[in-house]
Amino acid sequence: MVSDNAAEKALNLIRSRLCNPNFIFRPLCDSPDSNYSKLKFIVSSSVTEACNNSVLLLGPRGSGKVAVLDLVLEDLLLEYPDMINLIRLNGLLHSDDNSAVKEIARQLCVEHQLLFSKMASFDDNSEFMIAMLRECGLAHKTIVFVLDEFDLFTQGKQRLLYALLDAMQSVTSQAVVIGVSCRLDADQLLEKRVKSRFSHRKLLFLPPSEEDIYRLLDHVLSLPVDSSLPHDYAIEFNAKLHSMFSDERFRQVINSYMNFSPTVRHLVKFLFRAASDMDLKLGYLSFENFKSAISSLQRQPKMECLRDCSILELYILVCMKRLEVKEQNSYSFSAVMKEYKSIHDSFQTSDYYSQDVCLRAFEHVLQRGLVCFADGRGRIQSTEFRPVKLLISFAEISQGLKAHHLCPAFLQKLAS
Amino acid sequence: MKKTAASAPSPAEPSPHQEHGDDNSLQPFFILHRAAPDKSDRKPSRRSVPSSPASPDKAVNSDDHDDCSGDLSREHLRMEAFQHAWSDIETAIQGVLQSIDSATFEAIHSWISESFSIIRTHVSSGFSEIAQSFPAAVDSVSRRLFTGLILTKNVELFDDLRTFEEVGRFLRSHGCHVANLSSMDFVAKNGIGGCITSLLRQFLATSVDAPDMLTLSSWYNNQVNNDTPIVLIIDDLERCCGSVLSDFILLLSEWVMKIPVILIIGVATTPDRLRSILQSEALQCLYPFKFNLGTLAERMDAVVEAILVKQSPGFFISHKVAVFMRNHFVNHGGTLSSFIRALKIACVQHFSMEPFSFVLRGLIEEEIQGSKHGALPKAIYNCASNISPCERNKMDEEAVQRLVPEIAQLRRLHFLWSIVVLCLYEAGKGDEFHVLDLLCEALDPEFYASRAPGSFTQETGHTKASSPNDCFTHQHKFTMRKNGFISQVMRKVRDLSESHLLSLLKRWERHTADIIEIHEKVKELQHMLKFENCQQVKKDSVEIAKIRGLQNKSNLGRDMKRVNDKASSFLAYLIEKYMQPIECVPSHEIVCFKNVKKLQMALVGDSRRQIQVDLLESHNILSCSCCRNDNILLSSMHDTSIMYSSCQEHGDLVNLHDWYQSFKRILLCPNSKKRHKLKQSPVSKKRKIVDDSEKLSEVVIQSRFCRGVAELQITGLLRMQSKRRPDFVQRVAFGL
Amino acid sequence: MGEDEVLSVTRRTTRSSSATAISTKNDVVERIKSTHICSPSLNDLLYGGEPIDLDVLLSNFPGRHPQIRELLQILGPSNTPMLPIFVYGGPSTGKTSIILQLFRYLNRPFVYSSCRTCYSPRILFESVLNQLSHHRKNATNGYSSVKRCEKPSDFVNFLREALVSMVNRLKENVGKSKSSKKRERSIDGHMVYLIFDKLELVRDWDKSSSILPLLFNLDSILNIPEVGLIFISSTPPDTFYSSMGYIEPVPIYFPNYSEDDLRQILVRNQAYPKLYSSFLDAVLRPFCRITRRLDELSAVFSSLFLEYCKPLNDLAVVPNEDLKRRLFSNLQPHISLFLNETFRVLSQSSSGAERTKGRELRGSKRKIGTHDESDELDFHMSTSAKYLLISAFLASRNPATLDASLFDSRGGSDSRKRRRKPSETAKGQKEAEEEELLTKGPGSFPLERLLAIFQCITSVAEDYLGEEVQVEDSLEVEGQDGPLMSDVLLQLSSLCNANFIVKGGTCPLEGSTRYRSVVTEDLALKVAKSVKFPLAKYVYRR
Repeated sequence: MVSDNAAEKALNLIRSRLCNPNFIFRPLCDSPDSNYSKLKFIVSSSVTEACNNSVLLLGPRGSGKVAVLDLVLEDLLLEYPDMINLIRLNGLLHSDDNSAVKEIARQLCVEHQLLFSKMASFDDNSEFMIAMLRECGLAHKTIVFVLDEFDLFTQGKQRLLYALLDAMQSVTSQAVVIGVSCRLDADQLLEKRVKSRFSHRKLLFLPPSEEDIYRLLDHVLSLPVDSSLPHDYAIEFNAKLHSMFSDERFRQVINSYMNFSPTVRHLVKFLFRAASDMDLKLGYLSFENFKSAISSLQRQPKMECLRDCSILELYILVCMKRLEVKEQNSYSFSAVMKEYKSIHDSFQTSDYYSQDVCLRAFEHVLQRGLVCFADGRGRIQSTEFRPVKLLISFAEISQGLKAHHLCPAFLQKLAS
Repeated sequence: MKKTAASAPSPAEPSPHQEHGDDNSLQPFFILHRAAPDKSDRKPSRRSVPSSPASPDKAVNSDDHDDCSGDLSREHLRMEAFQHAWSDIETAIQGVLQSIDSATFEAIHSWISESFSIIRTHVSSGFSEIAQSFPAAVDSVSRRLFTGLILTKNVELFDDLRTFEEVGRFLRSHGCHVANLSSMDFVAKNGIGGCITSLLRQFLATSVDAPDMLTLSSWYNNQVNNDTPIVLIIDDLERCCGSVLSDFILLLSEWVMKIPVILIIGVATTPDRLRSILQSEALQCLYPFKFNLGTLAERMDAVVEAILVKQSPGFFISHKVAVFMRNHFVNHGGTLSSFIRALKIACVQHFSMEPFSFVLRGLIEEEIQGSKHGALPKAIYNCASNISPCERNKMDEEAVQRLVPEIAQLRRLHFLWSIVVLCLYEAGKGDEFHVLDLLCEALDPEFYASRAPGSFTQETGHTKASSPNDCFTHQHKFTMRKNGFISQVMRKVRDLSESHLLSLLKRWERHTADIIEIHEKVKELQHMLKFENCQQVKKDSVEIAKIRGLQNKSNLGRDMKRVNDKASSFLAYLIEKYMQPIECVPSHEIVCFKNVKKLQMALVGDSRRQIQVDLLESHNILSCSCCRNDNILLSSMHDTSIMYSSCQEHGDLVNLHDWYQSFKRILLCPNSKKRHKLKQSPVSKKRKIVDDSEKLSEVVIQSRFCRGVAELQITGLLRMQSKRRPDFVQRVAFGL
Repeated sequence: MGEDEVLSVTRRTTRSSSATAISTKNDVVERIKSTHICSPSLNDLLYGGEPIDLDVLLSNFPGRHPQIRELLQILGPSNTPMLPIFVYGGPSTGKTSIILQLFRYLNRPFVYSSCRTCYSPRILFESVLNQLSHHRKNATNGYSSVKRCEKPSDFVNFLREALVSMVNRLKENVGKSKSSKKRERSIDGHMVYLIFDKLELVRDWDKSSSILPLLFNLDSILNIPEVGLIFISSTPPDTFYSSMGYIEPVPIYFPNYSEDDLRQILVRNQAYPKLYSSFLDAVLRPFCRITRRLDELSAVFSSLFLEYCKPLNDLAVVPNEDLKRRLFSNLQPHISLFLNETFRVLSQSSSGAERTKGRELRGSKRKIGTHDESDELDFHMSTSAKYLLISAFLASRNPATLDASLFDSRGGSDSRKRRRKPSETAKGQKEAEEEELLTKGPGSFPLERLLAIFQCITSVAEDYLGEEVQVEDSLEVEGQDGPLMSDVLLQLSSLCNANFIVKGGTCPLEGSTRYRSVVTEDLALKVAKSVKFPLAKYVYRR
């Protein structure tokens, strides 16, 4: 009973840890050659020496670029109070220069308790921004521009980037531009005039090494011994955890998972899934949790779709496969229908249905995303004449047919 | 050139929108009426019209006189006579159509109310979500949309637009919230937002930015009478963009729990067009019922019966006109409104051409007052007297006075005729039998001539009608066309079953109510039938033996036959005696419109043909002395006509260079005789000067050539060269 | 005006560098409200109606227990943050209703917005904001939203404000309800969930490339731990991949119902379960071979069951074997009928009378009327429209190269014997043509070709018509030769309106628009039959 309540508390604790990236990335930061310390050095130097700087944080999604950045800024804000002025932009929201500059102006206004007018034009805002840069430079205040989804800013004329980086050429200003992108070639996207003004510092975020992973696991999953949780329960919990870590099967599971989704975020997702079906009655994380988590995360949508198909839909897929085997470059539903007829004529199948029904089944397959139209949005043609193509491989089809519990045997024969 | 360009095209391409207001369907007529008197048009008209006191040919003349001596008062009188007659016709049409559709409307309304109650029962389960944004928890069956498919079995939509408006009005009057959507709201361009916008605009009467269903639901829930359904009427399924319409239906089916929406979709062709237009997913949401409007055939029958048979609005059409209208309807028209339009045009032409046409109205009124031989009102008389100067000399008081009894006679005969036609129609009603066809046959003067040889006045009819009872044993002498409708009717009557015959007689009785001599004969027939029935019944009651039964059955058959024969021969008698086409009545021209040509010009005057004709013999129009009517091309002719006639010898592809060369040659060969002949022609003065100021330069010729090509292209006889053959133009029009 | 006050609000919030100030302001308002009415606005975000317990929930959704348990685990106990989840599965597998019922059971506030109802980004944004700020569109506010926001950036700013204030109110509301236990219908926890339903539709929006990543990255953009994101889609996550990736949310899969599940569901809340189950024995398996979608099946069965019950006088009977057999035997024909149709139109009894009347007076030989026979044309077209339709059909059916041989240039009646030969000579191309037709569908043609064919056809048909006319009576008016030829363009436009002929794109070589006829062959044959036109001679094939 007590353990139940405690287990719930533990679960909440773990889940809230998992949903808080800053907590997760803390342990990866302390080593001197980690991105954390490099980034911190860059920013702090430009704060202290009052120089301009610019850096790109590159790495696959979920490798904790933003999280590390947040940690750095957090610490720096503590170290140098009111010497850092943070401006955050996101390429998803402010990709076009107008809204970006407007947003910058807005945040600057917020920072310095100024009145922000929505009506200001692009030029006004950019002038305002330059002026603020100079002012802050004179006041030895560093403005840190964080451009998330940096690659999206490089679409279009890159006026914003140019304006920023150009302003940073003057000695008076004092700013750091930190671009965060999941495209490793993000700096190649820059125009020449922008690139020439950009200091080519890049921090690469690599997937965590194995010991990192286990440190993370330990850090995230083990319960604090000195907390509201009952002491012995925590001890017990951690003991079970460590025994599981040392378990070989567990390591295999983790490795297999990290092989196809290497980033930390994926790991977090995995842990979340595993933790969320921890049995509260039992109160401890068990190996089964992780196994079920991996099975529920590593899905094969196409296979599932095939499993959901009705027999008629399978027929249609098989017909399309046969057409593609015949190297028909482009074929439409009517051709599929013809093939279906021919199949029925050759082997007197039990399920032979009218064109309307087949068309409906075809539309179902279309909705499932197993098939798509080969042309663009052709409104003129009606559905049965638009060229179509399969979106799944033949192997998948035959495999799916085998998996399908009531698929007639000779349909598999046709497919193979 | 100018003239035809101005006049000819206007009647020819009647865009469907032109039909919308009937009054602008007058427009082509008037233009055409002015453009009418040129030779190319007049010759056929003379051919087609029999000589009569006021033949339309002269009438045209007189009209031309009117035009130049624009006497307003007469125009005014004519117009008002026309207004009067036409208003009668229009009201009649309206009444007929409404009576046809009313039953369907009632059916639709009852269906709507019951389906609404069904929806309500579904909703009562999950009320709490109504105000919420998320869908109510109901199973998919109760989430289906009640959909009424109104089958207007006509590809031409135009008639039915009016019908759908009336459906909307009808439902509104029964308290439903109705919105009429058209296919314009379901275009792919502005997607599903478009139809929701127009929906909200119709309900909320304010335009909202960001229109969505939530707005509609809140509006509906704030309504005082939100215990009535929302009915959406979509006029024309076929024109809608399928994907948008399917999205809309899916959206509605998500909301039908909260907003009781009922769809009404007009389907022009067949209900399974839905399957081809909508996606199956959307089709899944529908719960369709179908309603049939009165088919076009029914409407036509009803209208024709009402206008051309029953009432006589001082205006009638001759056989040829009737046939023409019928053919035009079958081949092109396809809509009732086009038929009515044709009728209207005929009416206008009649009233504006026929000298005495407007006299008639006064006469009718007088008759209504009862004083038969009272003199006409002076005003009418004056106008009648000075109506057509060419006839003024033989036009005097007693002529007009003579008119009065004639017209009365005319009306009487026409009335008899209409009764006979009605009887025929009643008899023939049913399989593939139409009033218009019957009308065409009944109006045929030759047919009448074949029946009553040489007897064009109805006195003979009176003499024949001496013995009252021979009309049942009457052997009709007239030869009927072997597939004519009348003969069909005869045959049909001869083998009618007893009950049908009885009902038929009843209907005859109703029709012939106010002509006594026919009426009593019908009664007689009924008596015979009754009598045989009752003695039949007696026999049955007496007899027991089945053998007897057999023979009795047989002789029952015989008796029946007897009555049928009587009936049919009575019909024949009626036809022979009373069915006198209006064209065989003296002074029918006053009410009868005969001029097919004009009507045809107004309806299907095909402009391309006209333009080509005018181009090819331009000298007929601008009758100048310089270029005579022989088909050698002279430089004095109009450039465009020269070019068009010179491109006649090319195939469908005209080589620009050759064409230009021939054009140039024609312009630059002023042969000597033509030159001195050109001297006196005023047209050729400047041309001559041009000639003297040596040889109009290459540039001028080219520019004229280009202008000519442009004109030909504008008139649609030519298409500009394609990218593939830059040196060729393509002829679009071939032959005449 | 509204713009201004929005502006002022934002300005105030922007002044107070964190949103706490405004939230406290809101709390004041909130408390004032909650004194007399127990904060109805907060309860608005709950699922209405009375709460249900887990057993009812499970029993309501047979065959969905694993999914429900999975969802419960991921949503977790109250006040636990969660990663965004992605619920997917075929249509009508109970995704939406299960999620909603779960929230009804959990008593947690949520914001639901379906991307079908919210068919554009702006409407989606505004509906979310409206629900968060308990704003109802109505006549008093001119059916306007609480805030006008079209740009994603504005949306994120507004959303953050609204969420933060909401969360704060929930927190203190929790405290209140803890202090006063009397109100049993209390909100559970201080989590707010945003549910985006029918997400697959967003892919078709024109701005989908920017909206989808925004939605999927929303939690990392906001990062407010008290907000849970739930996406519901009918297509698997791999159909959402875009050029710029994102962290896939935790997937939860709803498979199609198995046959037994379907049986359970269909038998549920039936009036006569015994009879219905015997009915299902007959029909369920064959129909499952066609479709396994619950909605389609239930729609078919609802009308098929009536047929099944026809012979019975009382439906309460428990059918024994031979009764079942008899019922099945007279259901058999209907089954095969229903199997092959996707959609049936019921005819109203009252309008049935009309239809019989319509059948009574049928069109004449010259087609002024309608025909109810299946092989006859069911609607009215004028004769020239019919010929035009036929010629359009021919034009898109036959290759243009054969026109010259098919139709004599003059198109007179003597062209009949000439017509035969080419159809044999064309045998070679026939197969290729067939293939081409199958793949590309009906071909397109320029207007001139249509008119040429039309002219030939009509000139051929004149003599057919002529004979017919002779038979009836000489109703032809003189001087009206070729009456069909005039105002063809009008007929063409009306055919286009009736969607028999579609205007194709303009041909790149010559600029004229091209047409294409989309009538099915049997319809064309019907039309030809109705005008006694020998279509089969002209369409070349087997």
